[in-house]
Amino acid sequence: MQTALQYIFSGLAIGGIYALVALGFHIMWSTAKAVNFAHGDALMLGAVLAIMGIDVGLPIALAALLAVAASCLFGVILERYAVRPFAKTPTSIGWMLTTIAVGIMLEALVTMQFGGFSRPLPSPGVDKALNILGAGVYPQELLIPAVAVAVMLGFVWMQRSTLIGRAMQAVAFDRNAAALMGIDVNRMFAISFGLASALGGAAGILVAPVTQASAQMGLILGLKGFAVAIIGGVTSAPGVVIAGLAFGIIEKFVEGYISTAAREIIGFSIAILVLLIYPQGLFGKREVFKV
Amino acid sequence: MSHRFASFTRASVLAMAALLAGPAFAQQEPCIGNSGPLTGAAAFGGAAVKYGAEIAIDEINEKGGVLGKKLRLIQYDDAGAPPRGVDNTRRVAMSDKCIAILGGYHSTVGLAQVDLVNEIGIPYIGTIAANTKIIENEKSPNYMFRVSAKDKWVAHFLVEQAVKASKNGKIAFIYENTGWGNGAFPDIKAAMKAKGKELVAAETFNWNDQDMSAQVIRIRDAGADTLLIWGLDREGNQIVRSLDKVAFKPTMIAAWGLAGNLGELAGPLANGVRVMQTFSWLGEMDAKTKVIWEKIQKKHGLKDPTELKMGSGTANAYDAVYILAKAIEKAGAYDWKKVREALYQVEHTGLVANYKPAFDKADPERQDAILPEYYRLTAWHDGKLLPIAQTPYGKSQ
Amino acid sequence: MSARLPLFGFGLFLAFLVVVPLTATNEYELRLFMLFLIYAVVALGLNILVGLTGLVSLGQAGLFALGAYTGAILAVRLGFDLVSASIAAIIIASLFGALLAYPTVRVRGVYLAVITIAFGMIVENVAIEWQGLTGGPMGITGIPKPSAFGIPMTGFRYYTVLAVVLFAVVVVTHNLKRSKYGRAMLAVSQSETAAKSVGLNVTGIRTLAFVIAAATAGLAGVLYAFLNSYISPDTFTFSDSIRFLLMVVLGGAGTTSGALIGAFILTYLPEYLQQLQYWQKFAYGLLLAVVMFVLPMGIVGTAVVVFRRFVPRGRSIDMGNAVNIEAVVRQSVAGQTGSAELVASNLTIRFGGLTALNNVSIRVKPAQIHALIGPNGAGKSTFVNSVTGFYVPDEGRFELDGVNLTGQASYLIARKGLARTFQNTELFGDLTVFENLMVGYQRRLGYTLLDAALRTGRFRRQEEECRRAAISILAFVGLGDFAHEKARFLPFGLQRRLEIARALAAAPRLLLLDEPAAGLTTQEIEELAGMIRQIASFGISILLIEHHVDLIMSVADQVTVLDYGAVIASDTPASVQNDPRVIEAYFGTATVLEQAVS
Repeated sequence: MQTALQYIFSGLAIGGIYALVALGFHIMWSTAKAVNFAHGDALMLGAVLAIMGIDVGLPIALAALLAVAASCLFGVILERYAVRPFAKTPTSIGWMLTTIAVGIMLEALVTMQFGGFSRPLPSPGVDKALNILGAGVYPQELLIPAVAVAVMLGFVWMQRSTLIGRAMQAVAFDRNAAALMGIDVNRMFAISFGLASALGGAAGILVAPVTQASAQMGLILGLKGFAVAIIGGVTSAPGVVIAGLAFGIIEKFVEGYISTAAREIIGFSIAILVLLIYPQGLFGKREVFKV
Repeated sequence: MSHRFASFTRASVLAMAALLAGPAFAQQEPCIGNSGPLTGAAAFGGAAVKYGAEIAIDEINEKGGVLGKKLRLIQYDDAGAPPRGVDNTRRVAMSDKCIAILGGYHSTVGLAQVDLVNEIGIPYIGTIAANTKIIENEKSPNYMFRVSAKDKWVAHFLVEQAVKASKNGKIAFIYENTGWGNGAFPDIKAAMKAKGKELVAAETFNWNDQDMSAQVIRIRDAGADTLLIWGLDREGNQIVRSLDKVAFKPTMIAAWGLAGNLGELAGPLANGVRVMQTFSWLGEMDAKTKVIWEKIQKKHGLKDPTELKMGSGTANAYDAVYILAKAIEKAGAYDWKKVREALYQVEHTGLVANYKPAFDKADPERQDAILPEYYRLTAWHDGKLLPIAQTPYGKSQ
Repeated sequence: MSARLPLFGFGLFLAFLVVVPLTATNEYELRLFMLFLIYAVVALGLNILVGLTGLVSLGQAGLFALGAYTGAILAVRLGFDLVSASIAAIIIASLFGALLAYPTVRVRGVYLAVITIAFGMIVENVAIEWQGLTGGPMGITGIPKPSAFGIPMTGFRYYTVLAVVLFAVVVVTHNLKRSKYGRAMLAVSQSETAAKSVGLNVTGIRTLAFVIAAATAGLAGVLYAFLNSYISPDTFTFSDSIRFLLMVVLGGAGTTSGALIGAFILTYLPEYLQQLQYWQKFAYGLLLAVVMFVLPMGIVGTAVVVFRRFVPRGRSIDMGNAVNIEAVVRQSVAGQTGSAELVASNLTIRFGGLTALNNVSIRVKPAQIHALIGPNGAGKSTFVNSVTGFYVPDEGRFELDGVNLTGQASYLIARKGLARTFQNTELFGDLTVFENLMVGYQRRLGYTLLDAALRTGRFRRQEEECRRAAISILAFVGLGDFAHEKARFLPFGLQRRLEIARALAAAPRLLLLDEPAAGLTTQEIEELAGMIRQIASFGISILLIEHHVDLIMSVADQVTVLDYGAVIASDTPASVQNDPRVIEAYFGTATVLEQAVS
């Protein structure tokens, strides 16, 4: 029981990270119907820049703020130059490859500037583990899934109740019609990518105290976050968060009761199976087939 | 026109003949190949070897080089991937025709190079990767040499420490699921057996794993009070944090994968983790070490020895290049075969050890130059990895 | 000229394969070139999947790994030689390829990308974890030197093996590309709906593409394992999958020479980037980005576009080979002859709470022009979609010449001789007008995959017939001047005409025209009426869905009127025109009815 509780806590922390990454994919997809395959690197950028900011003597809050701003800028620039030129092509190969290319460049650059090593981001959230019913957990780890849920609620509210949120949905539904209605489609794309990357950067700062920051941290988190987004149904914000948290917990139980080795195999097999049964993801909207 | 064609044909035929004849007739060049990770997560490991080798070569060249020729270092990146390491070996041997190749950071890469190195017959000198079978590969003649630790010996060294430290005699092992970790597992089991003991738990983890609670819970439930670790800093940090979460405090004794920045990553949680090394740039430096450190410092703009990650590799590579240079002098020619023979006759007083001789032809175990007597135990204390005698943990023993 | 160009290309490539080993200065260079030969095999197969079928695989390294591990394990444990190991690897990889194709029935685009990524990850991790079989992270060493039938195949012999394999793969994939299979793949990638309507088995074609890509990757994997005599999971990572995809895109997706050039560049590039040391990965990313910006269509694709700018291709085609149009469209296919009779009885279709078709019975008599009219939303298109298999009726059935087709897949119905056009035109936009017709003709081409790969006599004969038929149909619909124009560049009226032409190419027995006059000018409508009458005169039954009263009055033999999903009248045009219920349906008042009665 105590062991199972430990796995649930650890799983929620990891799952919260997946959920945050997946939310970024959701935000981009629900406007542009395209995503940034380097989104994991937005996460990395936030974490790494925050540490570099502290290195040069900035107070931690300022360093974090600047890092989030830089991540946001990264998203906007990336959308403008790596995604938008390819958004109109029928296949997705164009933006997939350009964003991957940007990710490779960024990772290489950060490896050179920051070093190949992982580095910690100081946070009071990991100073002392809490003991809950015999299971140990850092406050920071509990914070991650909580933030994921809060961000999800915030974004849903934004979509429903703000002009920008509605405009973003309109653009996703039919960008030509939205443009005719006077919505600046390109601006909506930029906003969604900027927002997603800012969220990514903030998520990086949030998780770095637990996972440590390194130039390589983005790749696998990005891939898994993307898989989680698709499993959950990339069109549904609550869907991706639920899928992320569930995926994290399942991973921990696989590690605990089957083997550490089986984790990726089982995780990715689940991803394939889910998509075979629910082609739009677990909570995704079904696209109506029309001739 | 016809003349041109004839010369083209002749060149082609010659090229074919050279190819068919194989590399044995190739003339070797005064260069040393170095294949290690320059990019990716272990880029620091490749850089460490590069630093040491560069300084040694600079010093040798300042004194006129070897056999009247200046040595060159030809650096290739293996990015930690065995296939690239294998390709680099071919390139160094067949395209650059270097006299020897230095080995890199990853044991997986080293293992992959064994067959090819012996097939070609180019001397290989390992500088970090410590897997036992890289060197003890049952090939004869064996072209694989090493100026670094050997896991078989490291296992004995660390198990001895573990047995000393353990109060209830229950020792567990956690290792990374890579060529290095998996290769060490049989060595650890053998070393335990030699002490008449068995591991109470053996757990693995993968690179980039962010939580080890499942593994440490199993280790705790097995009743262990001492934990042997074969892993790198990033995962080592997750191990100590997961231990902290489940409120379990075994004595931790690790191979040198934790000699990087565990102290920075884990803070006070790293205190007391013992790590085996072949060399330490921290603490008091002797005069020779100081000179070399200052050269590295100048060349690469480092501020503090803590910035030299995997510093043992730098020292090992520095010694390896000197041993190689002496062997070439002894061989009297830039020739793979002769240099290999000469390597068994080199005696050298190096940074890490006193090599007399560096290698022993009669003993297949002695293709490794650094003997266990030169292994040293260090321990993390307040963010620094110091010789254990200079820490509180040394005194308790 | 275009027929000779590939032969010239093959010759040039063959010469290249002979010259390179002669000029290699050392074994390392030769080996590098051999790596290129292997990667090129992967790229050519992937090109079929990505370039022709438009499906993205980000897990190709997984299939490459399957081949390599299958070959290596069989060679090390069971002593398989090069040939038997290759066959086994191709079979295993193909099986997994077919498995991977299955999801394409339901998922596309990024969803499919995730499945392929997941597949690659699973293979990589199984290779790491299943230590007993795969050697775990350390991989498999000591793979025996390649031999075939007891003859050692090392050194130059192995080079020859690789060169021959690659050359064969080049020829076969190129031939497939220029056959009905290649055209079908392109068609499927552009409009799945239209592809089904001309009788293409979309799932089958996607599976074929996946299997080809998997088989070549598997074969390349074995060849790699024997070349390297060592494999480990690190050779088969996500970034290797990206590299394979990049080979195809860099060279120019859809072109054989592009795949070769892409593979060549990406084999040699890392060698040069090595000089940059710490910066090499950055340079690789930069190059990838620059390529996508500057050459989004790849090297060969862009070169062709530039070349065509200076040397435009003529749009028209030599009509000299045209044959009698009636013979072309009346050809008996698979034993189906004569005009077809469509009998739909009691068809009901519901979308949620809405009943789109309510108990509809319609009979289209052989060789008749039967018009189906009704106000917007009356269920006309729903009817067409249900009898062509795009919708499955909730109740009722429909038969073609007494054969029940209810619930059959649309491509199977199309193969029974039922062709259609679409209300919103569905053309294969990036194919030329001529190619659109050739795809339409597809169901009449009986040659096999083997015929296509080897360009047998049967293949050439049937293709020639297909060309001739296409020319005749072009002449019939008056599109001869646009034969080599891409369909999507045609003016709207001509696009409508092309759709009819494509349907005719299938030699239909029943033609369903879904609002063919919508958006046409009066002049064009008159021409259309003539064309419809002429088609009917060939003995093809026609079901015409239209709003345009004049057109219906001038061509239809019988008119059925739908309103709110139900048949309210079915008679000759003249009587329907005066039917009060019809008038009410259109004008919504009873006044006209009263007038009619009084």
